[in-house]
Amino acid sequence: MIVQGEYTFPGTREAIWELLLDPAVIARTMPGTEEMVRVAPDRYEGRMRVGVGAITAAEFTVSVQLADVVPPERYTMQIDGRGRFGFTRGTAQVRLAADGAGTVMRFEADLQVGGKIAAVGQRLLDSVSKLMTRQGLESLSKEVNRRLASADPGSRSPNPGSLP
Amino acid sequence: MSVQAGHVVSLTVNGSPATRTVEPRLLLSDFLRHELGLTGTHVGCEHGVCGACTVLLDGEAVRSCLLFAVQADGHAVETVEGLAAGGELHPIQAAFHETHALQCGFCTPGFLMTLVPYLREHPTPTEQEIREALSGNLCRCTGYKNIVDAVALAARRGAAAGRQGAEAAPARRAGSGAARRGAA
Amino acid sequence: MSARWLGERVPRLEDTKLLTGRALFTDDVDLPGMLHAAFLRSDDAHGVLRSVDVEAARRRPGVVAVWTAADLGEYWKPGPALVPPPPIAGLVFNSATQVPLAREKVRHVGEPLALVVAVSRYVAEDALDDIVVDVEPLLAVTDLEAALAPGAPRVHEALGGNVAARARQSKGDYAAARGRAHKVIARRFRYDRGAAAAIENRGVVAAWDAKTEELTVWDTTQAPIPIRNGLAAMLGLGESQVRVVAPFIGGGFGPKIMMFYPEEVLIPWAAMRLGRPVKWIEDRQENFYATTQERLQIHDAELAVAKDGTILGVKDRFLFDTGAYDPYGLTIPINSQCTLLGPYAVPNYDSEFTAVFTNRPIVTPVRGAGRQHGVFVMERLLDLAAKELGMDRVEIRRRNFLPPDAFPHDHQILFQDFAPLTYDSGDYGPAMDRAVDAIGYERFLREEQPALRRAGRHVGLGIVSYIEGTGIGPYEGARVTIEPSGSVRVATGVGTQGQGHFTTFAQLVSDVLGMDPSKVQVITGDTREFGWGTGTFASRGAVVAGNAVHEAAIRVRKKVLKLASEVLGVDAGELFLECGSVHVKGAPERSLRLGDLARKANPLRGGVAPGTEPGLEATAYFGPERGNAANGVHAMIVEVDPETCEVRIRRYVVVHDCGTVINPTVVEGQVQGGVAMGIGNAFYEQLVWDENGQLMNASFMDYLLPTALDVPAVEMRHTVTPSPLNPLGAKGVGEAGAIPAAAAFAQAVEDALEGEIEVLEIPLSPNRLFDLLGSRSRP
Repeated sequence: MIVQGEYTFPGTREAIWELLLDPAVIARTMPGTEEMVRVAPDRYEGRMRVGVGAITAAEFTVSVQLADVVPPERYTMQIDGRGRFGFTRGTAQVRLAADGAGTVMRFEADLQVGGKIAAVGQRLLDSVSKLMTRQGLESLSKEVNRRLASADPGSRSPNPGSLP
Repeated sequence: MSVQAGHVVSLTVNGSPATRTVEPRLLLSDFLRHELGLTGTHVGCEHGVCGACTVLLDGEAVRSCLLFAVQADGHAVETVEGLAAGGELHPIQAAFHETHALQCGFCTPGFLMTLVPYLREHPTPTEQEIREALSGNLCRCTGYKNIVDAVALAARRGAAAGRQGAEAAPARRAGSGAARRGAA
Repeated sequence: MSARWLGERVPRLEDTKLLTGRALFTDDVDLPGMLHAAFLRSDDAHGVLRSVDVEAARRRPGVVAVWTAADLGEYWKPGPALVPPPPIAGLVFNSATQVPLAREKVRHVGEPLALVVAVSRYVAEDALDDIVVDVEPLLAVTDLEAALAPGAPRVHEALGGNVAARARQSKGDYAAARGRAHKVIARRFRYDRGAAAAIENRGVVAAWDAKTEELTVWDTTQAPIPIRNGLAAMLGLGESQVRVVAPFIGGGFGPKIMMFYPEEVLIPWAAMRLGRPVKWIEDRQENFYATTQERLQIHDAELAVAKDGTILGVKDRFLFDTGAYDPYGLTIPINSQCTLLGPYAVPNYDSEFTAVFTNRPIVTPVRGAGRQHGVFVMERLLDLAAKELGMDRVEIRRRNFLPPDAFPHDHQILFQDFAPLTYDSGDYGPAMDRAVDAIGYERFLREEQPALRRAGRHVGLGIVSYIEGTGIGPYEGARVTIEPSGSVRVATGVGTQGQGHFTTFAQLVSDVLGMDPSKVQVITGDTREFGWGTGTFASRGAVVAGNAVHEAAIRVRKKVLKLASEVLGVDAGELFLECGSVHVKGAPERSLRLGDLARKANPLRGGVAPGTEPGLEATAYFGPERGNAANGVHAMIVEVDPETCEVRIRRYVVVHDCGTVINPTVVEGQVQGGVAMGIGNAFYEQLVWDENGQLMNASFMDYLLPTALDVPAVEMRHTVTPSPLNPLGAKGVGEAGAIPAAAAFAQAVEDALEGEIEVLEIPLSPNRLFDLLGSRSRP
């Protein structure tokens, strides 16, 4: 399953980079994340709860291993999620590029899904992953704007309508 | 059999009252088969597609694998064991026998229970209508032809009996179907 | 002896029980103190199994025991190789059989990792979630050609690669034939099959009685006697200490004759260990992984023909997916290899297959057992040849039929029963004539099709012929007993999964003993009742067990006549059997009820002449020297909607020849049901595996079985060419309906689309048809 896209955030690459790798931010913005802890400089572990169609709230333990880290440009994640309804694993690449006053984030993930979720949820995997991605990006965007507003209350964000 | 906290369920099954204490998550199919020992209702898929588990709930055909026993509390359930009355096969059972509409017989109770309310409400179906009515029940043995013939045969006989003034519509129809539709 | 019941449409004796919900199926067995089992199954298709931690599961309230491979001790061992490979020269065969619980490695999704036994199935499944599995994933072997490439991951490390077997059979000189050919048609064919998907899933219930030291096992098996024998050996018991009962079974279709599934091996063991009955019932999702299935074969085949359409030779190289293990040997690919020859004279043949291990569940026969693949390849090659030669497709087949005086015909290659493939009898021309007539071939091609085409409709006709090898050995047996009540009891070792043995066997006995079938009680599938035999498979029940039943009845009849002649003081030639009694010709007042005679045959006091056997009972066995060849023709008319790519079957005709017919209604039911499976195979059913060995449609929502809206009423005709290989002259018919349907379907769809695409693969779903239509070059 390929999940890919791009999103433009206000703020510098350095600022976005920090947010993306902050476990507390991940926990708040990635849909279904209940816990996310940075156990090593390049490794995160946590728990997630995801619904796919008829399987509501499947629990996963998840680990993310970082590699090829080149701040604030790019990194690769090795994702491994396992639960009683199956597993998902694969790699994702994140690249940040400066775009005027903002940052363009491009991501591409190649995920293998297996177990019960794959066996009975095939038709929904695509739409669920798109939904989760969109929700995650919107939450991240809110998070970015919140930080910008609190860091510099007087400045205007590029997206006036998205003040929290 | 169960370990979770129990919930009391009281219902009538084939006209007789039954009361048991069950886990909330116990499926109606498992309740009928294992709590009450009525093993005529069969389980083929547990996700509502094959229809082998079809029973009547207040006169309407339902998938017992998609219901919890607690949902049947206070209702009337009919299973295949209740069809033959006084040692005589129900007309649809007799028709199945005559047209060789069953081979392994595993899907058969589900077909029978689907057809009982169907023929009650559609006494003169065309072949296409019969096939549509049967399309929610899977059979792997017969290839359906003889089942279609059985339904046509039972319908013809039911219509003939009706013309002769014999009781064609069973008394249990009164009220039960309408009540369910009202509640939907 | 009357032939009153042979060939009669006797309504089935077993129906009342089934119709009223009183028939015992395996999940209906309920024993005091019974526990329930669930298996933890691998989510990974291929991996190193590092650990299976069951401690939390063991602590869950309601859980009685949890076992992993390590806990099985010496009981853990790979299952037996069930079908040895035939003695083909130059054969390569690597045997690898399934294990009760995975150890060190997992090789397919669904492979069992642990067994949980608890007070209910619900609690047992809760406990599955408590188990923590550590698997290091490995790349999965899924593509057949990639599996054979150097450097591919290996399903079995000990083997040098993923070749499970390689076998080549040939006759004549294909290369020379090719050199003489007017045309050579070469194509790649892909034929994918799916799950048997019987409506009843598998199940095993086992109970050990410590006092009598007897083990009773209820099993949804098509082979109760071999299961009994194997379990006794594995568990260190005598065969007489084990009773295996195959009760009413909700459809077999092949996978229920796979033997020594992990669950079959472990549930009895668990029952003995725990001293309580244990029940395991498979659920539908498990069935997609845990029960065997068939899958893809890829054929690169070519046909060399003369200018007049005569077949000069066939060459075939094919790949066969055997899954992670190969306990069932080479039955399926050998069937493909042999059935490809069909009813045709093929003087030169060169066929080689490679069986490939993959990280998917085991492949064992499903109704048709590889014959479909052979029929598809040959029938498609003939169709393509007919097109190239400008010949009529019925004509090219007729030209190549073996003539009626060619029998017995030895094809000089080995069949699945290890004997040379020899057709015992057949007359293929008349069957084709009847099919051509029944489908209205000439009128359709000349008038109806052109008219409909002018109206913008896409209709097509497919007509194919085939041979089905049936009734193979080794043997079956039966015992017939006249009881003092006057009814007759018949016991035989085969099981019954809906094919009507309770009625057809009763018919056979009724003719011999002059009674009504309703007085004949048939017992099948209980090793306590009859302990010698192999099982129901390969369309052999009526032929092999039927002939044993018939022979046993004849022996009882001899005993009846001998005793009655002594009792009545009359020569045996003056006696006849009718209505359950022995009568004297010309003296209607002098008769003896068979039940009374049975009582007389079992005295409590007095002496008997030496060599006398008590009662009126006899046991007989039948073992054919080789299988016989049933044949038939399928014809269908379809309409294709080019926008939605839906294919509607307008008519379906089957002409079949299964030799002597015992009960026409039962035979027609088998054909109609088989055609439904063939239609499913052709158009609706496909197990969709991804490149990681994950099954993506493990439910009936996504694995589509044909419904009453998808299967037409089959119009049937039959011809009768009795088999000289058994006294009844019978041939098998159980798989006939399923075998050629896809080949007919392919031809019909191609015809409907006026040759815009070549159909070289099955199944052909609407999506796939859409793709094929879209990718053809536009004018």
